[in-house]
Amino acid sequence: MDPAGVFAVRYSQDRALLRTRKQWFALAVFLAALAALPLLVGPRLIAVANIMLISAIVVVGLQICTGYAGQVNLGQAAFMGVGAYTAAVLAERTGLSFLLTIPLSGVAAAGFGFVFGLSAARIKGFYLALTTIAAQFVFHFAVLNLPGSWLGGSNGATVPPATLFGYRIASDTSLYYLCLVCTVIMVYGAFGIVRSRFGRAFIAVRDDDVAAGIMGINVVATKATAFLVGAFYAGVGGALWAYMLRFVAVDQFTLFNSVFFIAMIIVGGMGSVVGALIGVFVIRAIQELITSLGPELAASVPFLGGDIVFASMNVFLGGAIALFLIIEPKGLMHRWNIVKAGYRLWPFPY
Amino acid sequence: MTPLAARDVTLRFGGVIALDRVTVEVRPDELLAIIGPNGAGKTSLLNVLSGFYRPHSGQVELEGETIRSLRVDQVARSGVARTFQGTHLFAGQTVVENILVGRDVHMRTNILQAFCYFPWVAREEDEHRRAVEEIIEFLEIESIRNERVGTLGYGLRKRVDLGRALAQEPRILLMDEPMAGMNSEEKEDLARFILDVREARKTPVVLVEHDMGVVMDLADRIVVLDFGRVIAEGTPAEMQRNPDVIRAYLGEAQ
Ligand SMILES: Nc1ncnc2c1ncn2[C@@H]1O[C@H](COP(=O)(O)OP(=O)(O)OP(=O)(O)O)[C@@H](O)[C@H]1O
Ligand SMILES: [Mg+2]
Repeated sequence: MDPAGVFAVRYSQDRALLRTRKQWFALAVFLAALAALPLLVGPRLIAVANIMLISAIVVVGLQICTGYAGQVNLGQAAFMGVGAYTAAVLAERTGLSFLLTIPLSGVAAAGFGFVFGLSAARIKGFYLALTTIAAQFVFHFAVLNLPGSWLGGSNGATVPPATLFGYRIASDTSLYYLCLVCTVIMVYGAFGIVRSRFGRAFIAVRDDDVAAGIMGINVVATKATAFLVGAFYAGVGGALWAYMLRFVAVDQFTLFNSVFFIAMIIVGGMGSVVGALIGVFVIRAIQELITSLGPELAASVPFLGGDIVFASMNVFLGGAIALFLIIEPKGLMHRWNIVKAGYRLWPFPY
Repeated sequence: MTPLAARDVTLRFGGVIALDRVTVEVRPDELLAIIGPNGAGKTSLLNVLSGFYRPHSGQVELEGETIRSLRVDQVARSGVARTFQGTHLFAGQTVVENILVGRDVHMRTNILQAFCYFPWVAREEDEHRRAVEEIIEFLEIESIRNERVGTLGYGLRKRVDLGRALAQEPRILLMDEPMAGMNSEEKEDLARFILDVREARKTPVVLVEHDMGVVMDLADRIVVLDFGRVIAEGTPAEMQRNPDVIRAYLGEAQ
């Protein structure tokens, strides 16, 4: 619903993401604040922000695959890993610029994801979830069992820093700008996809694949495309991850991570790009809070012992997510929409 | 050329013979009604005609060409549209979006172009949105165009269902019990839309319907199915006098 006094007079306006001058202004302020963030906060928070931006790319991709197209995907971390290793190998062996390795990592991950997308054509729900978990194991198995000289096996692989015109993108701040630019591009692209015929086809297949087929949507191709797009996003995120840590190893891309990515779209709200971003922010913030509070707690209450504190961190995080699901099962985006609609109608409740 | 025909089609579900050597021809520019008691095989016939079920034997021909090798979405792209018994709308989408899905068969944008959202992607969207608005106006659902379909009443949902099929600009339109569950006012509205569609587009319509009043008023020709077999075929007046038809219906009522 539109704010009072705002009427679309052209279809492009009806479709536009930003409908009012105020919304444009808010977006400009938000982007300016993001651009100025390194001036406002310390390097530790910038490092956290980098992780959030990379997660945002990966989770927006998952949102398209799972939230929009309804294809359960518990292999997003593996797809990210494929991207990370691709970037690592390309950067180390070929010395290609990150301007090429990042999209190529996306393509490599998309190819891997596409295979699982094809299996989504035949199976649904629970069985599909199991199959995508298999992606996780295939990835681990391949990295650990291929000759060590290829991917580094269990030792992992080092990654040279990204460079632009001889400038090394290695500091937290310069990485932040690289991640920010990539995130802005990928989020823009996600909005393009979800409001195009593809976004509509994804939702159609999710809501009623029989009707979608009879309406002329190629259901198999649509599901495979959803996986392809989702995995491409994961691959791009993985490449950035490789450039950020300058080191990749299999245990950075586990089933545990995949489950967290799912938690992020659920907490933020299924089927909403903004919801995915909110989910990433909220969960990563809680995670960060717990990780930074944990050691302090262990230090100030010595008799608890470090082990218990660190073990209970994950329990606490899991509990927080469970609480979210109970209180707000449709996600934060849903709550926000209700609040927004209420605000626009106020004081007339109709 | 016959727009759409089933020739000698047999369809089985395990031991149940849903269609038994059914031959039905849809003639150009006619409204063909398919009637029959519950479980007669009407929906199965539409599913075969729209390529959703592949018959065990027999052929379905779209303008003389067999559709045997086509997937269901390819049949749709070749110009067969249908509405559903009950509702099969995309619940997470608005009315406009649902109808836009019907336009997909005419859209060309690929995924990379969608990602970049080039200006001409927006132009294509606008073009199809314009076509959708015409349908919305025709079906008199302007006021609900941005509502989610999940919140709509049954009558309105059926209109959206029809709108979605019309958006495909089909060469033939199949409708499965569009009036079931409607009150008489809603039925009248929908009957008017169906007649207008034929008037404006000259599209042949295959209508599966239980309401005899509606069928007698709208149909040019009627095919009667019973236990998966065609038991009679002819004009509404002929069918009213046909003893087999009367028996099938009375037999069911007893
Ligand atoms: N998917 C299916 N699996 C098994 N049997 C089916 C299936 N679809 C239909 N049938 C059977 O085929 C026969 C014909 O069913 P169909 O749905 O075509 O009848 P109908 O004429 O549309 O009936 P109604 O008026 O109730 O809609 C019935 O006996 C039904 O039980
Ligand atoms: Mg039926």
